[in-house]
Amino acid sequence: MKTQLELNVSSRGAMSGVLTMGSLDPAFAAATEVRGEPVEVDLRTVEFVEPAGLCGLAALLEFLCARCQDVSLTLPRRDVPAYLERMNFFRIFGDRIGTNADVEALEERRRHNPGTLQELINFHTEEEIPGIIHRISEILENQGYRLRERVAICSTLSEVCANAAEHGVSSFGAYAAVQAYHHIVSGSRRRGEEVLIAIADGGVGVRETLSRNPKYAEETATDNDALRYALEMGVSGTGEIGRGGGLALVAGIAARSGGSLSLRSGTGRVTVYESRKNSRNVPRFPGTFVRVSLPRTPQEKPAR
Amino acid sequence: MPEERAQQTFEIAGGDFGGKLMVTRRTGRAVRSALEEALMDLPKGGTLYVDTRGVELMDYSFADEALGILASRVASGEYGERHLVLVEEDRDMLENVEASLMQRSLAMIRVDEVGAEPAIVGKVPDHLVDTLQAIYDAGSITNTALAAKLGLNNTACNNRATRLAKLGLIHRKTETAAPGGRQYAYERIA
Repeated sequence: MKTQLELNVSSRGAMSGVLTMGSLDPAFAAATEVRGEPVEVDLRTVEFVEPAGLCGLAALLEFLCARCQDVSLTLPRRDVPAYLERMNFFRIFGDRIGTNADVEALEERRRHNPGTLQELINFHTEEEIPGIIHRISEILENQGYRLRERVAICSTLSEVCANAAEHGVSSFGAYAAVQAYHHIVSGSRRRGEEVLIAIADGGVGVRETLSRNPKYAEETATDNDALRYALEMGVSGTGEIGRGGGLALVAGIAARSGGSLSLRSGTGRVTVYESRKNSRNVPRFPGTFVRVSLPRTPQEKPAR
Repeated sequence: MPEERAQQTFEIAGGDFGGKLMVTRRTGRAVRSALEEALMDLPKGGTLYVDTRGVELMDYSFADEALGILASRVASGEYGERHLVLVEEDRDMLENVEASLMQRSLAMIRVDEVGAEPAIVGKVPDHLVDTLQAIYDAGSITNTALAAKLGLNNTACNNRATRLAKLGLIHRKTETAAPGGRQYAYERIA
């Protein structure tokens, strides 16, 4: 008998059918109860996967694979398995989990997706980051992204990945993915383009990291307190001057561009927008997760 | 004009560190050790021009590790009387250098190119800005002359200039003044 892990994929509104981080909440909650028995994650209600959902799914599967031998994924037909294949998902998990999808057939019709700026990538150390940044920068340059956009995307990815490599030490390290869309995915149905960056690690989380510094006791009373504090300039676990600037600065870049940065760890989630910061209590996430939305302003076509 | 002191330029993008893309503290540390080495190769009083113009992207972690920590060590006197000047145009990339220096309550002299008019990156306390400007306008000036120019007494003037020298923004030397006296003189480093 397999334990079924259900997802919460919304069936209405702008995020209908989208696998987001939030849609994995019930699965994470149920996963903590798993004690070695076979587990099945049911993705059949999913129509569309965004990087946050992909990194979240990777973290969930790592969490499950550490707890039981037999983990399987039930996928809907058509688009979702093809997308996962293009995002290198099966290259990372193919040997470790079972699936109803015909992965070999997918590999045969594998095509490049121009919107994919970074396939799902697993990394463990700071040393791996410059290589990741060089590669995505080249892709962005080839696709005509302006310097300012490349800087925003690359520095967000490098700072958040560096945090994950430094604080997110876990058996599986961290996952990242970046995808560009010719429409706005996050929230409202505005016109425009958007780049989504997601990074998930399985480390101890923000509150634990910050509370190692005794002088932050008051600021780390809850997960949300710790997340809000971590987003301030100059706040870091070690408390050394000069540390803890990266996250605050990249949150500022996202907010100023009209996008957002969402930081999730433990039972907290804080999202930074241009004019406000929202905190919410959410089901526990075992690690730290960051999702950044960077809208693209339309590029003026050069006169011919 | 000040007497000729040694100067050397270090092009960050030219080294074997990451070309146009400078990210992570780890890369920052590697660049910092190369800069420290170049700084210590200079005779005392020399200026190292750190040229970041070929760099497209410098994240905060890199900027703090390579330049913020370097500036803090210059300010703590770790490299003797050797100075640091940033060669960079006024562009977005400076924000991360500035943010690091602000966190550390430090500043650096910046020029668009070697020989161009100097500007400040980071934080110089308000009451020191006039003093810094007067020294740069003069090129080289004794404490007495500077005090007169700013309408300060010699001690107050000396305190301000000493603070600027400690921040690594000016060069300070002892001059023998006739008859028999010794006093400080200050020089611009770029």
